[in-house]
Amino acid sequence: MGHSFRRWIALGSAVAALAACHRAAPPLTRNLNVENKVAMRSVSLYYESPDLLLAPEPRSLPLPENPAGALDLVVRELLKGSVNAGVPRLFPDDAVLRGAYLLPDGTALIDLGGPTLSQGWNTGSHQELMALYSLVQTVTANFPEAKQVRVLVNGEPAETLAGHISLTDALRPNAALVSR
Amino acid sequence: MKRFIPLLVLAAASILFAQAPSPNQATLRMASGDHPVTITGAEGQTLFAADEVMTALGGALGPEGNGFQVSLNNAAAVFGPDSRYAVIRDELIEMPVTPVVLDGRPFVPWQFFQGFLSKAADLDVVWDPAARLLTVRPAQHLIVSVQLSVANIQGISKVVATLSAPVDYAVIKQPQAYVIRFKSPIRAPFPEQTYDDPYVAKATFNGNDLRLDLKSPDVAADAYKLDNPYRVIVDLHKVAGGGVTPVPSIVTPRPVQQAPGIHTIVIDPGHGGKEVGAIGPGGLMEKDVTLQICRKLQDALESKLHARVILTRTDDSIVPLDQRTAIANQFKADLFLSVHMNAAVVKGAHGAETYFLSLEASDELAKKAAEVENAQGGPTSTSGSDLKLILWDLAQQEYLNESSRFAQDIQEEMNRITGVQSRGVKQAPFRVLVGATMPAALVEVGFITNPEEESKLTSDLFQKSVVDALTTAIQRYKTDYETRIGTNHSEPVEATAASTKHGT
Repeated sequence: MGHSFRRWIALGSAVAALAACHRAAPPLTRNLNVENKVAMRSVSLYYESPDLLLAPEPRSLPLPENPAGALDLVVRELLKGSVNAGVPRLFPDDAVLRGAYLLPDGTALIDLGGPTLSQGWNTGSHQELMALYSLVQTVTANFPEAKQVRVLVNGEPAETLAGHISLTDALRPNAALVSR
Repeated sequence: MKRFIPLLVLAAASILFAQAPSPNQATLRMASGDHPVTITGAEGQTLFAADEVMTALGGALGPEGNGFQVSLNNAAAVFGPDSRYAVIRDELIEMPVTPVVLDGRPFVPWQFFQGFLSKAADLDVVWDPAARLLTVRPAQHLIVSVQLSVANIQGISKVVATLSAPVDYAVIKQPQAYVIRFKSPIRAPFPEQTYDDPYVAKATFNGNDLRLDLKSPDVAADAYKLDNPYRVIVDLHKVAGGGVTPVPSIVTPRPVQQAPGIHTIVIDPGHGGKEVGAIGPGGLMEKDVTLQICRKLQDALESKLHARVILTRTDDSIVPLDQRTAIANQFKADLFLSVHMNAAVVKGAHGAETYFLSLEASDELAKKAAEVENAQGGPTSTSGSDLKLILWDLAQQEYLNESSRFAQDIQEEMNRITGVQSRGVKQAPFRVLVGATMPAALVEVGFITNPEEESKLTSDLFQKSVVDALTTAIQRYKTDYETRIGTNHSEPVEATAASTKHGT
């Protein structure tokens, strides 16, 4: 993300000189925090409970009203892990969110990265299943517009995160993985 | 006269600029006329101002999260500045470089418009860099380029046609040849090429046809397609009784009995090579235990069931997930079992669980099923022929009931014979099960992350009890299946499945 940002700055500076030659176009990137009132909002983040299923953890976050703007922030918060030290992290410590998009057809696109996920995550199917569905459950529970989650790694399609669960198709919430 | 000089200079300048357009501009050509489009460069690629192109097309562009959304004809695609992939209706559009944002305006390579407009408006997009001309035109002019490769792997000749865009096709059987008839114009890589291959003599492109001439008439074909990149794959192999099929050394002879039933079993030791799988607190690696157990299971199944048993790997090597299933399909296996060890971050996790495939994204699968019907339903297709058109993602669908029964048998015998806690039969979208054209299951024998179970997994006694449990379960499923289809004449499974329960 930092690299991209620096690239944007560099490219932005490079075109600044050309700006005078061009008709100035209004910037399309809106400041969502200004346009959408940011307020403390309640969300549920899903982590693994002692019964080896997913359980919601309530969290209050400053979020914009716009779901597209809030999605990124909620997933980043999920990746930070539980506030309860006794609840283990599901994703590798170095996992990062590269981008989160909400598509009109109800697909949330989550682009993950970080050294472990990039090089091949050595873990079993249960942890991989819990990690992926903590994401699916968190996204679909907090954003009614999102019906399914498509996961990319480093901006590209990946077969799996750790050799088990297929990422070829979008994942839908699975009630059997959620603690009752 | 002097007062006309500025006008003359202005006129000369405008002629000059008209003849030599700004280096930052290209022309967008559509049926309605030409439009100037601002361009920029990145990593050797030309990128186009997405807002200008979308406005000219009558569409729209706006922000979406930290990326952008374009829309046209009720279709929308989203892209971001950090990914080479845009998304439309859960499909990906691949771009050679990531989009860049200048002054808040996104610039994308022409391949984005090609992918988006082909799906949103049935339009084709062509970029001519010399003329700086981006042409948008009806899609019937789309020409798909084809690359062809032929390779013989484990006795199967694999003909892979890699396409620059998805194309429907039909496979037609002819005397000692197969013809793949593409339903759109193609750009062939060559007119004709001969091969030093056991089955394929020659490949010839003629119009929309790719003709594969075979070296003998007793060669059968299975055709299927894969995405990312788009590929049509034809697997050629000898038909039964048609001569000696080359088989890898790990394959035991096919049993004499050929009545329908469970005769060929593929066992898949999970992970391998640098893909070590889960690692226990004592350093035990999943890939090593799965191979040890599967080798013993192969011996047990061969001696007790007299089955033909194939391992997807026999050493510490990496085998891609799709290839593991492909091996089972190529050998026409009747059962597929993938063996794994589990891992959890929650302390104290223990027990065994067995999975069969769950189908995710049913809308997507329904769409693919419709594609299969379309591909099979054309006038040039060969309904009723011995060809089988398989879509990888749909392959396991028709076996789910049998896979569920098989998984149930595995789980019950694991619990009964090894005594480990049963975590039950579950469904999940396991990649290794997706393409299997036979009943298929995946067993998680125990949690390698649990010190107690890690220790047990290294013991010969426990490994033997796991092998006993899996052998008994496979024998039980075989007897049950063959009884249901009326080809079993052996003793009931309970009488043959006597096993002692080992301690936990």
